[in-house]
Amino acid sequence: MMDIIQKEMSRDRRAFIKNVLGGTIAGSLLLVIPAGAMDMGNIPEQIPGMRDDSGTFISKKRKFAFIVDITRCIGCGSCCVADKNEYQVPDGMYRTWVERYVIDDEDNVYVDSPNGGLDGYQQPRKDIPHPVRDTFFVPKLCNMCEHPSCVQVCPVGATFQTEDGFVLIDDKRCVACGYCVQACPYSVRFINPKTKTADKCTWCYHRVRKGLLPACVNVCPTQARKFGDLNDKESEVYKILHQPHVVSVLKPGMGNKPSLHYVGLRREVV
Amino acid sequence: MQQEYRSKSYSHIIRIILILIAVVGVGVVVRAMVMPKSFGEFGHYRGDAVVDEINRPIRNGTNASCLVCHPYIRKMHMEGVHKTVSCEFCHGPMADHVKDDKVIAHLPKKQGEEIKILCLRCHNQIIRARPKESIKMISMPKHLEDQKVRIDHNCNQCHNVHAPLMWVNQAKAIVGAGEDSK
Repeated sequence: MMDIIQKEMSRDRRAFIKNVLGGTIAGSLLLVIPAGAMDMGNIPEQIPGMRDDSGTFISKKRKFAFIVDITRCIGCGSCCVADKNEYQVPDGMYRTWVERYVIDDEDNVYVDSPNGGLDGYQQPRKDIPHPVRDTFFVPKLCNMCEHPSCVQVCPVGATFQTEDGFVLIDDKRCVACGYCVQACPYSVRFINPKTKTADKCTWCYHRVRKGLLPACVNVCPTQARKFGDLNDKESEVYKILHQPHVVSVLKPGMGNKPSLHYVGLRREVV
Repeated sequence: MQQEYRSKSYSHIIRIILILIAVVGVGVVVRAMVMPKSFGEFGHYRGDAVVDEINRPIRNGTNASCLVCHPYIRKMHMEGVHKTVSCEFCHGPMADHVKDDKVIAHLPKKQGEEIKILCLRCHNQIIRARPKESIKMISMPKHLEDQKVRIDHNCNQCHNVHAPLMWVNQAKAIVGAGEDSK
């Protein structure tokens, strides 16, 4: 009898040690293999239902618009930093930038944008002779025109308007002739010295297609930049455009019909 | 006589037609060789360019993606008044930190004077142009004098950068609510 108990106990001990060893090994393996770490693919969706939209273009049900609220912009330059990080834009080139407008008591307008707002605005302007009446910031980016003049002038079909309304650049076709740089009424295009092709803001088409907001919209701390679907009546951009706000576009006289709208745009900027 | 003349004229017309056919043929072949495969699929551009653009790597994550792995920071950051501030604004893009579910490098933490510069990008009153109701403005070094602290104090000595009012409120709670001590 005793013998059997002894045997049973010793077997239990063996099983126990086995279990402990197994557990330890499994536990240490868990530490080595990262479980559920965040990868770019499984970031929570910011534009609802975007990941189910898997066609070549965004489905016709959506119509994206960008709104910049200049009454909210504080000129911190988060957007410029995010943009530079997202595209590794070479120094001195800006896909998006923030301009500072200073209006003095004599109604003179001074505009500057040191390093495109990338370093923020640390110092006030000191070269203004009169007292300052008003100061504000205006972020600039691609206007995504409905009638883009850049697409019209491209001789090789390197820049184009997709069916979902985005104006993109094919850097394999572009010969960097610079016609589009001159044609753009908003000066958002430049020749990228790294790729030797024309380059500009794309409203982060690659992020939007994967359900994320454009990098600049995502980082804006005061929600001065808004991006959304105009056909979705619940979206913020729809609400802003369908409620009494001072909403305007840049250079409406050019006839480009930009999809980028500004809230609180001043006469001095247009 | 006339018949002979006519037959001669035919031969030179045939020659021209043959040359034209050859030119068109060469043109078609060269066009097929030179033109990219998907050109004209949707319009006057290379259709695959859209796919290329979609496949551009995403380098910036979102705050949600950062805070999944940093729960302690998440608690602080999301409860504080800085919850709308992007992690990547101060620390750099996520692609430099995580790749294929693996940590590849550590993002730099801002130190000392860099912190002050970052804070003042948003909170510097001297710049004006900033809506007072949405964001608190201070002017340096007036703020330090008002709070009766040494003039060389850095912002993060009183303010946790993730939750700027956390320590301030804790201190207030210890000293006693209502009393105005930093």
